This record gives sequence, structure tokens and C-alpha cells, in this order.
Amino acid sequence: MKAEKGEIKVITGNAAAAHGARLCRPDVATSYPITPMSEVAETLSSFVANGLINTDMVEVEGENSAMNVVAGASLAGGRVFTATSSWGLSYMYDAVQQAAGFRAPIVMVIANRESPGILAVSGGQQDIISVRDAGWLQVIVEEGQEILDTVIMAYRLAEDYDIQLPVMVNYDGFYLSYMATGIEIPRQEDVDAFLAPLKSQPPRQILEPGEALGCGTHGIDVGFVELRYRQCQAMERAGARLDEIDAAFQDYFGRGYGGQIEEYRLDDAEIALVTSGSATGTARVVVDQKRQEGIKVGLVKLRLFRPFPRQKLAAALKGKKAVGVVDRSVGFGWDCGPMYMEVRALTPEIGIVPMLSYIDGLANLDITVPHIERAVDEVWAAAQGKPYQETTWIPLEA
Amino acid sequence: MTETKRKKSPVFDYFTETEDVFAGGVAWCAGCTLELAARFVPKVLGKDILLVGCPSCSAPVFFGQNRGTWHRMSYFSSLMTGVASNASGISRMFRRMGKDTTVVCFTGDGCGADIGFQPLSGAAERNEHVIYITYDNEGYMNTGYQRSSTTPLGASTSTTPAGKVGHGKPTPSKYVPLLIAMHGAAYAATATLSHLEDFARKLKKAKEKVKDGFVYLHIFAPCVMGWRIDPSASIKVCREAVRTNYYPLWEAENGAVRLTHEVPSPRPVADYLKMVRKFSHLGEADIERIAATVSQRYALLKGLDSLNR
Repeated sequence: MKAEKGEIKVITGNAAAAHGARLCRPDVATSYPITPMSEVAETLSSFVANGLINTDMVEVEGENSAMNVVAGASLAGGRVFTATSSWGLSYMYDAVQQAAGFRAPIVMVIANRESPGILAVSGGQQDIISVRDAGWLQVIVEEGQEILDTVIMAYRLAEDYDIQLPVMVNYDGFYLSYMATGIEIPRQEDVDAFLAPLKSQPPRQILEPGEALGCGTHGIDVGFVELRYRQCQAMERAGARLDEIDAAFQDYFGRGYGGQIEEYRLDDAEIALVTSGSATGTARVVVDQKRQEGIKVGLVKLRLFRPFPRQKLAAALKGKKAVGVVDRSVGFGWDCGPMYMEVRALTPEIGIVPMLSYIDGLANLDITVPHIERAVDEVWAAAQGKPYQETTWIPLEA
Repeated sequence: MTETKRKKSPVFDYFTETEDVFAGGVAWCAGCTLELAARFVPKVLGKDILLVGCPSCSAPVFFGQNRGTWHRMSYFSSLMTGVASNASGISRMFRRMGKDTTVVCFTGDGCGADIGFQPLSGAAERNEHVIYITYDNEGYMNTGYQRSSTTPLGASTSTTPAGKVGHGKPTPSKYVPLLIAMHGAAYAATATLSHLEDFARKLKKAKEKVKDGFVYLHIFAPCVMGWRIDPSASIKVCREAVRTNYYPLWEAENGAVRLTHEVPSPRPVADYLKMVRKFSHLGEADIERIAATVSQRYALLKGLDSLNR
């Protein structure tokens, strides 16, 4: 069975996120407006106000409550949705960690924005880097259609009986959040059909009134360790499960994104560039150009950041003569980008080759074609044995 | 039966005719009024409520430990920042599913008056169908008797200790029950353990009014350790607090305040203060200042009450 073609509308990434949520029919949704994601809340509220969706929208007084309300509703048995950005994510941090410990299958979209430390009303991925160890699954998407489609896939992943973990769907704030593109909006019945397998699973544990049930119980001694271990094991299962869900989505809707990572012209490449988010489109253009110049470069789009796709990435990068990683955030205390740091940790699998970290695109500075060209040229030179600098802050040297 | 025997208050029926949902020998201090409140609430509201709480003096008993608990109620352990919001989400979903379970938050003043106050205010403003109970022991007792925003003027705590210069807490308590009543909550009330009939009536009313929206109950709950009172005196302290108007009993429906237990000739506040050793360092001037704040607060309540007569 295949889905029928949906209507194509020119909408922003924020609206795409809201449409994705609408199509999954959440029981309860919350959000506290913050630039650049406020439009997600507004769009969802308009869906509710116009009767397009029967969701209980809770207008909370801050992000901490935005997360806590959906966590409570999720554990009571509901499908839930919320959205935030930057400091909003920081302000809900205790609840974010707790939601993961509760194994609440929440889906949250994040229009990525700079934070924390220096106030910047501008894009960057520092917000999600600051919560990478909170126990959430983190997917980073590249463009508007992928936002909508990934929200739908995120429910299949979060509510999977073997996973039961919350999912963050990340897209570059100010770029994807506000950029309007033609986006196919799947038909409701097709999304219902795609999510239907969740209904045939065993029911998950929910708060049952009248039952002697403690939730969020105090884990002590080995009891704590056991719960923590299960949480980590669920996360370990999530990578392969995302690959399966992505393949099922492609099969049904005709659009796929590679699951954990997406490779581009990588098979015969001698060097590789690793990107994430909206910068990937620019990198594809540069790869095509450089190929014409005879530089055998390939590209890996890092789509799943937590769990980190170790096996997939190691297999993709093994045998490359040099690797460059473009980060839209910084890794305090490591003098390199955080995603670079994690790719570098795969050295035993990839082999000892030059690895170069590029910090670019902070605070809404564009990751441009010349920036990526420069990175490719340097990684190529490093592969030929030329001296190289490990970390380059491109905006300061351009 | 002799004619002189006093008529038994019906409030005792709650103790004799309901099941005890707690295990014996729970980890609360002797004379703890929080324990008495925690035991009394399910006796009136029923044991099929869903409790939401957080790290606090109530947590060692209410929280499960791994797979075990010391009580037979549904309990959701939140963080101090999340109680009112978690409860909002649970209540919304229960109502959506057609479950009529009463969702009851049960926290100390460290949560209700301080770190959990913003979400409490948000839930009250949104008129969530939740009963929020704050047991007010006037400080962070679980972490060692530090001050909170409901610690009264002059009280010596481990972070506002009386000393050569210090006179205890330099500012009066934040009067949270009135603040929540002024949100227009469906029902808000104060209660304490010396006036159980009043407490029981308010709990029953809470269960009715929560169908209309947000309900807030503020329970005066002396802490024998933190306040340095004798374990046998905790109920007497409650009673004296009411008799001196230190802790007036009132209720408010949709913000309309009504005193529920007027004290015709209140005793001097000093009578109450001398029972509690956290005030033992206070001099005449300090006591006068406290008496002034007590009078002022009571006059405000009386004025609000008169608007509804």
C-alpha cells in the first residue's frame, strides 16, 4: 500500500512542524512562545481554534511548565507535543531530564538557536548540544519537508514499545523556521495508517487511578542502576529502529532521509565532510563542484545525534584519508566542535587520519559555499599529507 | 453512658471507619503534623485519589523506593519545580479519558510558596481541575530547617539564625493562600490540625469545587524539630496559633473571602510565640512587630470577609 499524494502548500518550517503535529492528533500540547519557534504554537492554536484538531492546548506560564504538563499527560496515557528553542530549552532542563527518566514518549520540536551564555537572537545548535546527555533521542533535519515528515516518524519512534523515550526534532532556527518552501502535506488517513502499528503493540504502563502505582519512584542502590541501564539500552535500540521507520516511511510516502545518517557521493570518496541540519544543502552543492575539479569528496549528513550513530558513521568513514566536521556550536573545554569531538572518538574504527573541525554558522552567520569550499580544500590537502590546523573558526578567519 | 459525656465529633468516624492506607512505622518524626495531615487527607478525599508530590519531608514516605512503597495510593513523584504542571497534564488527560480521579498535589511550603510557586500560580490562573495542598511548616525542614518565604518574621532558622546581631528572619511571611485566592481560584482555604472538623469540611468542599476548577488548601503544620517544640505539643501549637489569630481560618470561593472560625477575643500573640522555641530569642520590640503583622493580616481578612456579608 502507498499513500496518496498530499496537497502541496508553500509554508514555513515552523508551520510544517505544526502540520506534522496536527496529523499525529496529539491529545495534549503545550508551548511557551519563544523566537524563532513561536509560529509553531500559533499555528497549532489556530488549528485548535478552527476545529481542525481535537487537541487540548495548554497555555502555560513558562517552558518548565510546558515540559511538565506534557510529561504528566504523557504518563497518564496521552500522545503529546511541545516546542521550544534556546533558553526555553534551558529553562525546562530539569523537566527535560525527568521526562526521559520517566520514559515518557514526548515529541518536541526545537527551532535551534544560540544559547547559553551570550544572549543572541540568532540561529545555532548550542541549545541542543547543552542537552545532549539528558536522555532524549535527538534528530536533526535539513529542510521543511523533512521537518514535517520527521515529526510523524518521531511518534513511531518515541511510542515504540521497545523504545519509550522522548524525541527532539531539531531544525535550524531563523533558517528553516522562517523559510517558506513547497511542502507536501500528507493526507490524514495516510498518517493514521502509518501510525497504526503503534496501536497493535502491548499497552505501555500508564498512571492508573486506584492502582497502587508510584511513578518517578526513588531509585536506590541497584534499583537505580537497573532503571538507568534499561534507559540506556532503550536508547541503544533507537538507532536501528529509526532506520526501519525511515525505510517504512519511504516505502509508504515515497520520501526517505536515510535514518541515522545520509550519505552523499561517499562510496568512491577519498575524503569526507560531516554536516548536520540546513548546512547540508550547501555542502552538497560544494561536493558536486569539487568533484568536477577532481577532488574526490563525499558527504555524510549526521541526522541522529542521540543515540550517536557510531556503527553507521564508522562504516561510512572507514578508509577515508581525511575527515572534516562542520559544527554550528562550540564544545567548551575541547577547543573544537562537539560533533567533531564525537566523530573523532570513532578513531579506532575509522583509523588514524587527519580530522579537522570547522566551527561556523554561529549566531546566524551563514555557512556559505566559499566556507565549505575552503573546508574541503583543507581536508583534501591534509589527506595529501600537508600540515593542517585541527580547529578553524571560519567566521574569524574568512 | 452518662449524661456528662461529651458528644463525640463525627470527625472521629474518619479514623474509625476508613481503611488506613499507610504501612505501620513510617519515616516521619514523632509529633509531626505533616504526617497527621497526610493521613487525614485520603481519609476524607478517599484513597483512590492520585497524589502528586516532590522531594520534601513527605517524600520519604510517599515516594516509592525501587518497587516498594509505604502506602497504597497512586503517587506521582515530581520535582519541586514541576508539581502543579505535572498535575495539570495528568488531570487534563484523565478528564479527556473520562476518568473522574481527583488529582491532589501535596507539597511543603518550599515548593508551594517558593520554587514551585510559578507553576502553582499558572495552574491557578488556568483554573486546572487540581487540588493543591501546601503543608506549611514555615521552612525547608527536610534539608535542615532553613528559611522559606513563609518563615515568619523573627523566626530563627538555620539560614536566619538568631545571634549577637541577628534577630531571625528580617521579613514577614509571604501569605500564599490569599495570593492564590486572589487568582480567582474556584476554592481556596486555610486549615490546621487542631480544627479537624473545619479541615474535613474544607477537604470535602475541595472535592466538590475541584469540578469547577482550581482548589488550594494551605495547612498550618508545625515542625517539632525545626520549630523546637515538644512532640506532644504540636496540636496545642496549632490551636494556639488559631486562638491568637496568628493563623486565621478562612475560605474563599472564586476569590470571595469568608472567615470560617472567628475568634471573639483573641489571646496575645506572645502566648503563641512562647510555645515555639524558634522565637525564644525575641525581645519585646520584636514581639510587638510580629503582633503588628498579625493584626494587619487579620484586619485585611476581616475587611475582605465584610465585603461578602
